[in-house]
Amino acid sequence: MTTTQALLVVFAMALVTYATRAGGIFLVGFVPMSARTESFLRYLAGAVLVALVVPATVRGGPEGYVAVGVAVLARLVLRKALPAIALGILAAALWRASMGAS
Amino acid sequence: MSLAPQEPAPATLTWAGCWRGARAIMAVLPPVFVFGVAFGIAARGAGLEGWLAALMSVVVFAGAAQFAVLDLWTTPVPWLPLLVATFAINARHILLGASLRALCRGLAPWKVYGAMTLLSDLNWAALIAAERKGERDLGYLVGGGLLMWATWVAATVIGAVAGGLTLDDVKTYALDLVLVAFFATTLVGLRRGRVDDLPWLVAGLAAMGAVWFLPPNWHVMVGGLAGGLAGLLRDEIKRPG
Repeated sequence: MTTTQALLVVFAMALVTYATRAGGIFLVGFVPMSARTESFLRYLAGAVLVALVVPATVRGGPEGYVAVGVAVLARLVLRKALPAIALGILAAALWRASMGAS
Repeated sequence: MSLAPQEPAPATLTWAGCWRGARAIMAVLPPVFVFGVAFGIAARGAGLEGWLAALMSVVVFAGAAQFAVLDLWTTPVPWLPLLVATFAINARHILLGASLRALCRGLAPWKVYGAMTLLSDLNWAALIAAERKGERDLGYLVGGGLLMWATWVAATVIGAVAGGLTLDDVKTYALDLVLVAFFATTLVGLRRGRVDDLPWLVAGLAAMGAVWFLPPNWHVMVGGLAGGLAGLLRDEIKRPG
């Protein structure tokens, strides 16, 4: 790949990526405001997060389940995100260590 | 009709909002940094010049897509696979952006489209969690995004310069878990109650279905759309009259 080609690739990637970043708010501007649209958008954010979390957790295997499970429980009990994340990771690390020892 | 959408207050974009957003994503900067270093190293390994890897991080700022194209860094340039992969991996941004409609209300287009240059999963998740607690400032997205962008670029440069290092698999693995745990705890804050049961279940199942049956990278798009539609359907059925 020549330098010119590489530069073209990088800027083409930047354009495509920005199109996806700006595309959501652009497209939603064409949708008339209605109870239905509001309803859909209200559920969208949570659904996207679920779709991010579930496959990543499954891919993480046992440690993924431990990390996410403990983090979610800790978040419910402590009501604070940062300590909850830390506890989740710590639990996964302990789990990994104990499995490795056996 | 009693269920007509109520008009929320117009959104704002202020420095104070930027600052709040920057503070909110501090905790996830270490993984962003390590992945950035890993990208710099991987890019050099794939034959990119250091400055080119840094430039890509500056103008693209999308980790998963940047890693993916390294496998396609060949001559002749595989234009179509390269751009299709970039689009497919980043298509989820379309849903993220659409969900921010209420937070862009009444803002000048240049502010909205300027802020979207920094739209990413992490600062978006932080923003929608804050929105539930009353945040109305799109600067939250900008502040978080700027901090992540600066970290990502600096880390890429460090990785590209450091060259030969190889990252311990165990460590990158744990960092992956930090991000998942971050999204999962955000989800807890977002939950409104039983109304979310069905949409979230559908979103999870659809996302897993996409992982198993579709080409890579479509699961967020598929799960998000399916969950949103399930919620819409649920409201339609429950609607009185």
